[in-house]
Amino acid sequence: MPALSRIKNFFRNIFAKHRADRDLDDEVRSYADLLTQEKIRAGANPDEARRTSRLELGGVEQVKEQVREARAGAWLDSLFQDLRYGAHMLRKNPGFTAVAVLTLALGIGANVAIFTLTYAVILESLPVPNPQQLVRYTFRSGAHDFGLSGPLYDALRKHEDVDQDLLAWGGGGTLTAQEDGLATNVEGELMSGNGFRVLELQPFLGRFFSDADDQIAGGPNGYQAVLSYPFWKQHFHADTNVVGRSLSINGTEVTVIGVLPAGFQGVAIGQPPDIILPLSFEEILNAPHPLRHAPGRFWLTVIGRLKPGASLRLAEANLRTTEESVRADADPSHRFLGGFFATFRIGVERGGSGRSFLRFTYGRPLVVLEILVGLVLLLCCANTALLVLARVSSRLREFAVRSALGASRRRLFRQAMCEVGLVTFFGLMAGIALGWAGAKSLVAMLAAIGQPPPLDAAPQAAVFVFTAGISVLSALAAGAWPAVRASRVAPILGLKEGGTGSTSKALGRWIVPVQVAVSVVLMAAASLLGTSFFRLLLADSGFRPQGVVLAAVNLMETKVTPAVATQLAQQIVDTLGAAPGVDSAAVMSQPPLHGWWSAAHYYSLDQKGVLHPDMQTWQEAVSADYFATIGTPILKGRGFARADIGGAPVCVLSASAAQNFFPGEETVGRFVFAGGNDPALDGKTKADPKDTCRVIGVAADAHFQSLHQPPERAIYQVVPQNGVGVIFFVLVRSSNAQIATTAIRSAVRKVAPAAPAPTVFTFNQLLAEHLRQERMLMALSACFAAVALLLTALGLYGLLSRNVVMRTKEIGLRLALGAHPRDALSSVLWQGLRLVILGSAAGLIAAFGIAKLLRSLLIGVQLDSPVLLIAAVAAIFVAASLASCIPAWRAARVDPMEALRYE
Amino acid sequence: MSPDRNDDQTNLLQGTLDMMILKSLALDQMHGLGISRRIEQLTKGTFQVKPGSLFPALHRMEEEGWLVSSWGESENNRRAKFYRLTRAGRRQLNSETQRWGRISLAIARALEAS
Repeated sequence: MPALSRIKNFFRNIFAKHRADRDLDDEVRSYADLLTQEKIRAGANPDEARRTSRLELGGVEQVKEQVREARAGAWLDSLFQDLRYGAHMLRKNPGFTAVAVLTLALGIGANVAIFTLTYAVILESLPVPNPQQLVRYTFRSGAHDFGLSGPLYDALRKHEDVDQDLLAWGGGGTLTAQEDGLATNVEGELMSGNGFRVLELQPFLGRFFSDADDQIAGGPNGYQAVLSYPFWKQHFHADTNVVGRSLSINGTEVTVIGVLPAGFQGVAIGQPPDIILPLSFEEILNAPHPLRHAPGRFWLTVIGRLKPGASLRLAEANLRTTEESVRADADPSHRFLGGFFATFRIGVERGGSGRSFLRFTYGRPLVVLEILVGLVLLLCCANTALLVLARVSSRLREFAVRSALGASRRRLFRQAMCEVGLVTFFGLMAGIALGWAGAKSLVAMLAAIGQPPPLDAAPQAAVFVFTAGISVLSALAAGAWPAVRASRVAPILGLKEGGTGSTSKALGRWIVPVQVAVSVVLMAAASLLGTSFFRLLLADSGFRPQGVVLAAVNLMETKVTPAVATQLAQQIVDTLGAAPGVDSAAVMSQPPLHGWWSAAHYYSLDQKGVLHPDMQTWQEAVSADYFATIGTPILKGRGFARADIGGAPVCVLSASAAQNFFPGEETVGRFVFAGGNDPALDGKTKADPKDTCRVIGVAADAHFQSLHQPPERAIYQVVPQNGVGVIFFVLVRSSNAQIATTAIRSAVRKVAPAAPAPTVFTFNQLLAEHLRQERMLMALSACFAAVALLLTALGLYGLLSRNVVMRTKEIGLRLALGAHPRDALSSVLWQGLRLVILGSAAGLIAAFGIAKLLRSLLIGVQLDSPVLLIAAVAAIFVAASLASCIPAWRAARVDPMEALRYE
Repeated sequence: MSPDRNDDQTNLLQGTLDMMILKSLALDQMHGLGISRRIEQLTKGTFQVKPGSLFPALHRMEEEGWLVSSWGESENNRRAKFYRLTRAGRRQLNSETQRWGRISLAIARALEAS
């Protein structure tokens, strides 16, 4: 029964270890005894016999150790032993343990935090079958990532043939659902009838709607709706009889036909729906002006499932050949796709993770952060390796003695690795805790003004796997090398007086320059990202943000017409103007730097009679005190006055609009004409006087869309000559933001009591939000750089201090022979600086690489001067010199007599 | 690294050492030193098995169930641990012997062929 006996022995070796050991000892000793007896019988004298037999045996302990290794379960047993011993050694050296664990926790924690975000924002797929087959069609220009228009969706569906089918998904907004007289607000989303088929979703309950149900007035059974799983659970208490019930959505009857599977939260990430309605329902919701067939409304997320064998590249190629006909079909007038939205291109990309605004904004920054955080981990591993190396080399004697006493190489290696393993384990635990806390605060950083955090950074299995992976890798990187060194120690070393090996020095010669190089790269990245943030923050935006408070007023729910809304806006401004603590107040139709888009058609005739049309004029309706309130300077002519309101139409142009309409000519007093959205008719028909406005001034350029783009060509018209919409923005200049906020709230409450309370924010908040991508990159890269600097300084300090201790005797001897303490000082300093210079040189080369990479990944990063790189290297030098100073000073203070008496 | 592992003479293939031990125990039980002397004798001094190889092999083979051990008196009244073949050990010796026969025949033919 070999198997049985092996199991029996396994347990004996583990549990009855002492008895088995004693038995083995007896056996080996009896062998030695018999050998001696044999030699005595052959005629040797007893002492000689004992000596030669011991030589022949090769050491009782070695033989025993070899037997132990051959035993079943030996590895497990000795592993426990090594772990126990490792834990004991860690307890005995709390300093080493704390620093090593903290270093690893920092590196692992930073990686976990960033990866949690990367996973949630970039990698996570929709919970549908084969998400890799999905592609998404986009409509983009600069910082704008729009949806497609209904006609574009229809045209795309007609022209392209690489997808099995395309679905359209659009936001339905907050709807009122009523059942038995009980009303609730629900988040509604609209999806084309083929959507469930394209996504290959299976209902949790009931059925889904199909093409036949997605028609005007609904399908054969009227309008139908599908509920989300959480909504069904909360609102209908998971009642399976919900299927077939009828709800009233904004006054229209719909029938509930099914419930979505639990994990599916729609294709627009971060906007989970409560209820999904057929796309055609939009024509009821937004009657009398539905968006569905409007060529200029871009609101649909379009996702396709590739045919078998088709690829994204094929879809791209297909799109390039069909884009022109798609555009022509979708907008035969060319007013929108050829005019206002001429800069927007249709694109196609991977759609397996749905549509995420976060991915559009943070996708590339996260890639950058992953690179940086990977470097931080490398640095942490290097530092841990230095620490472990220091531990190993201070215990070389112990290792040598153990090797002499019969420990095998493998055993020594494993023993050294056990300690590293324990350190890694604790580092991992601390790192995970740190990482999740970090991920949480990062997510909070991503939140927009007045919005909840945009995603759920809950721990995911994939993040676990990733974390475990990097931890094992870092343990190997940090521990394996020193452990190999330890296991190769020659037994003879242990017997020599003062025998401490030189292996650590050789290894340190490599690790420190690597650390320095990585630090230089991280410092360079941080300085690059920092300058691009501050350049944008301090750039002239065309506004004076300090002291400006804005508020979004939404009169949508009060069902007023735009004309009434304009009147109310004027009343709010008048009320605010009289309020105490308010310097000036104004209203504007579109806020700056808030993701809004505006394009209008205007044209002018210059003095030579040349026509200057522009279909991308930023049209802004403002009240009289606007320029003073927001702080845009008037360069020529004048701003608006109250007297303008009743008179003939007037306007103010931005500098670039003036340059565009009247190149090189006097602008003030000239006329600009509102186009009829058809450039072909520009100037051909006599312009209606109400479409004509006289330019009374030129304002400085201002960035309405983005600080990354050139300023818009803007035309300002005064309220109410040009009205605001039912959503408009009130702004107040005041030295006290609190007073301004209260004033705005009470003015809105007084003038429009039916309107919801406005969202109030300062201009600086707006600016911060606009630059949050840059701010996040700057803040994190600065943190990483600081950590890098600290770790490098610590690593260098540790290496040099140990060196000084090891060289105490040598330095003492030199001093005794007449060397100056300054020589000892400079010798140690030079030893450190040499490594720093080597690392800096390598780091500088790598830094140019990372600068190039950053520039290719991020907009607005410029490598405008090498000064920053030099500053980064200088910072490393200062830190390194400080770190070298203390050991060097210690070397200089070595007392020759004491050093010689040492040991 | 213990010195006996460098010794070419005793650096036997593991299978060979196992086979020699089984063979030396085929007739009677024996203690460790006895086994190594028997192997020397059987191979006319070609193989000298040192304790660093012998004891791990003995313990491993005991765990395999080929050998059993018991304490007893040596020929000159010393306490010693004796090893004895089990039935499984005898089967192992048979199959090893056959395998070795095949291999040595094959190698001999291969060397003659050229």
